[in-house]
Amino acid sequence: MDDRERRDFEAGLSEEVDAWLRGEPTRRDFIKRFGQATGMLAISGSALSPFVNSALAQAKMELENPDTPLGKAQLAAYKASTEGPMDGSAYRAVEAAKQFAGANLNMTYEAGLQALDPRNFSGPLWDELTGIKSTVVELPPPDMYSKPIAEHIAGSGAYDVLDLQPQWTPALADGGVIAPLDDFIAKYMNMADLDDYHPLYKALPTYKGKIWGFFDDGDMFALYYRKDIFDDPKLREAYQAKFDKPLEVPKSWEDYVQVAQFITDQMAPNVYGAGHFRKAASPGNQFDFMQQYRSNGGVFFDENMKAALASDAGVKTLENMKAANAASIPGNDELDAVSLWVAWLQGKVAMIYSWPPTGRMSAGYSQSDKAISFIPQSSIAGKVGYAIVPGGHPEHAFGFNKAIAADSANLEAAYLFIQWACSPPVSLARCMLPYALRDPYRISHFKSELYGELFPSAPEYLANLNASANVGLLDPIMPGAQDYQLTLDRMCTSVWAGTDPMEALKTAAAEWDATTENLGADKQKAFYEEFLKLPGSTVGNTVEALGMAVKL
Amino acid sequence: MADVALGETPPSIPRRNLPSASRSDRRFKWLLVAPAALLILAISIYPLIFSIWVLFVNYDFQIPGHAFVGLKNFEQVVSDPVARYSLLVTVVLTVSNVLIELLLGLAVAMVMARSFRGRGLIISILIVPLFISPVVVGQAWALLLQRPFGPTNYLLGQLLGQEVTIGWLTQFPYNFIALVLADVWQWTPFMFVILLAGLTAIPPHVYEAAELDGVGAWQTFWHITIPYISPMILLAVTFRLLDAIRLFDTIFIMTGGGPGTQTYTASFYLYTIGFAQFHLSRATAGSWIFLILTLLVIIFLVRRLLKPEAN
Repeated sequence: MDDRERRDFEAGLSEEVDAWLRGEPTRRDFIKRFGQATGMLAISGSALSPFVNSALAQAKMELENPDTPLGKAQLAAYKASTEGPMDGSAYRAVEAAKQFAGANLNMTYEAGLQALDPRNFSGPLWDELTGIKSTVVELPPPDMYSKPIAEHIAGSGAYDVLDLQPQWTPALADGGVIAPLDDFIAKYMNMADLDDYHPLYKALPTYKGKIWGFFDDGDMFALYYRKDIFDDPKLREAYQAKFDKPLEVPKSWEDYVQVAQFITDQMAPNVYGAGHFRKAASPGNQFDFMQQYRSNGGVFFDENMKAALASDAGVKTLENMKAANAASIPGNDELDAVSLWVAWLQGKVAMIYSWPPTGRMSAGYSQSDKAISFIPQSSIAGKVGYAIVPGGHPEHAFGFNKAIAADSANLEAAYLFIQWACSPPVSLARCMLPYALRDPYRISHFKSELYGELFPSAPEYLANLNASANVGLLDPIMPGAQDYQLTLDRMCTSVWAGTDPMEALKTAAAEWDATTENLGADKQKAFYEEFLKLPGSTVGNTVEALGMAVKL
Repeated sequence: MADVALGETPPSIPRRNLPSASRSDRRFKWLLVAPAALLILAISIYPLIFSIWVLFVNYDFQIPGHAFVGLKNFEQVVSDPVARYSLLVTVVLTVSNVLIELLLGLAVAMVMARSFRGRGLIISILIVPLFISPVVVGQAWALLLQRPFGPTNYLLGQLLGQEVTIGWLTQFPYNFIALVLADVWQWTPFMFVILLAGLTAIPPHVYEAAELDGVGAWQTFWHITIPYISPMILLAVTFRLLDAIRLFDTIFIMTGGGPGTQTYTASFYLYTIGFAQFHLSRATAGSWIFLILTLLVIIFLVRRLLKPEAN
């Protein structure tokens, strides 16, 4: 043994290893201990499984006091599921689903608040009604797209019910990840329930003439403003004196900047005119650009499917957004949606446009549940007005469809669950949950008296969401939507950091063209042309412009 | 330790029918390593081989099928200006982070190498950041720096006597300073711990001899301390470089890569094209390019590490 061997020998070998090398423990000992260890693993698995299952599966059902509006809505959902009307989609789904009692549905949901609905309410209620249990798989938004695809490629059948953004439908349908619902709809659904969808949302799950899901979340942007500030006599007088016109809720983007700057000049640092979620990837930049750009006459692609961003409309949009940033709360470019809500609820800004939970939080309704306690209590309840965003064409930002995974071993049970969950009475109760981020989308939601009783200004809130949907614009629904939107986000944040707007638009257009080429220009053109047929694809093609506006 | 006299032949193991037992032993050792080998094959080798296939096909969640595309995935990465820029950002941030951490870590280690009251407590506090997840570190720094809620600008304003409106997360060069600050705060203790170990291993008599010879403090540091701890410095720098080169968490939390693509590192770029845009084959090609570049750094550093031993 040389020095090095001796050093290794001294340093590396323990008594146990020496003993093992000398053969003192017999092979039988080893196999016996190996068996014991394996057995322990098996035992620990079964011993732990109840804990694991309870952590993953649905919680105990949480029902509100039946005297409250939410409690009444929950009771109505329960009765519609158990007593009927017998031709209602909820009742039919429950009756048909009883044959699958004992099955378990794995449901993907956006991680966080969204997942509390199936955990605390709809999942346990469905179990009670049908005997079908559910396991909620919480996923961050990118994974809500990629994981179902990965599981489909693996053929695992891991998921049954999928929560998906409408813009993903073409890719997932073509890829065989989701299953069409038409046969199930014909068999089980009360067709009147389809007509209860607001026209902007009704067609979102339709692709190539088939229905690939049920729309389930009306993510319509709206303007929320401080009525007390706009009604302040001194401010009104000063505004009139300065601009020779009355201080009003802005209807154009130019007016929006002017009003925001005026309020900031008059009231900062106590209150600023506006606030936006402009942080990189937040994703307010892309939505705001898309709604303003189209309101300014911009189109996404020309007839040759080349990006048309580098245009006068693009420059006007970015310049106006920059001016709005300058008129806003300090740190505007660093805010995400939640930070903006915090500033708004603390009374630091006079106007914001964001998703519908803004209205429920402003009224202090959402904060009635401890799950949403990370949002501060509202200091502006009763002071908030609702309007369509300036420019008159708000963005429908994301939204969700409920779909069923094509590889599901419980396809029919999965379908019946989404029919039930999206049926008018059940979806209403789900949209009314204080912690849920599901927003009204059915005509019956907008008309609901129970919803209207949630907080004093709820009827106006609902009316504004409906009016916004009448003139609202959709995110592009086509393959590559993520790429196109990521480019917009990068473009905007680079402009906030000082890049010339036209230069940024040209860079973005080049990235869009590269994406289009990569996906196939002809195919993309066909997808884009399909998208342009949807109500809400352009300002000239809104629900209202098509004569389908919903009047409440 | 077994009681085996060195230099003696280990006690022979009595066995009957030795050739048969030997064969059995040979099989048995394979049985023993089989679970580990299978595990490595399943979670390491198979994905590696699979990734080589992915390199040359279309593996994009938005394009059905897996058509052979040759070197197109590599071409797309190489021709992407964002990819090239992200590599530059990676180099700049890595070198800045590691250099500052080395200098600060060495300075703190020099101070802590001496014995004084409360030294143990201070060292314990100093190494706390090492135990915090980088995501949490990023979030904490974002909360401190983010306007309008973070206190940093307010405190600076109080100190300077004028309003400070720095966009620490969105404004060049402050966004880079913020990223370096967060990384240095977390990883300087790592350098410190390793270098402290090196410093305490220097025999005191060397310093005593130098003192007797009238060697100055700077010369002592330069000609005794540094040569003695240079292997430790190289080790610490190697470990930190290999970690810093993968910088992702703080970028993701603090700047989201923005504004624009200004703070994209290679890891963030690969994440974005792989898991935000779902171009998996392009992300795989980018990962292989990044791996090869990283390997060059690793080979260089490991050779430097092994050089003293070879000598």
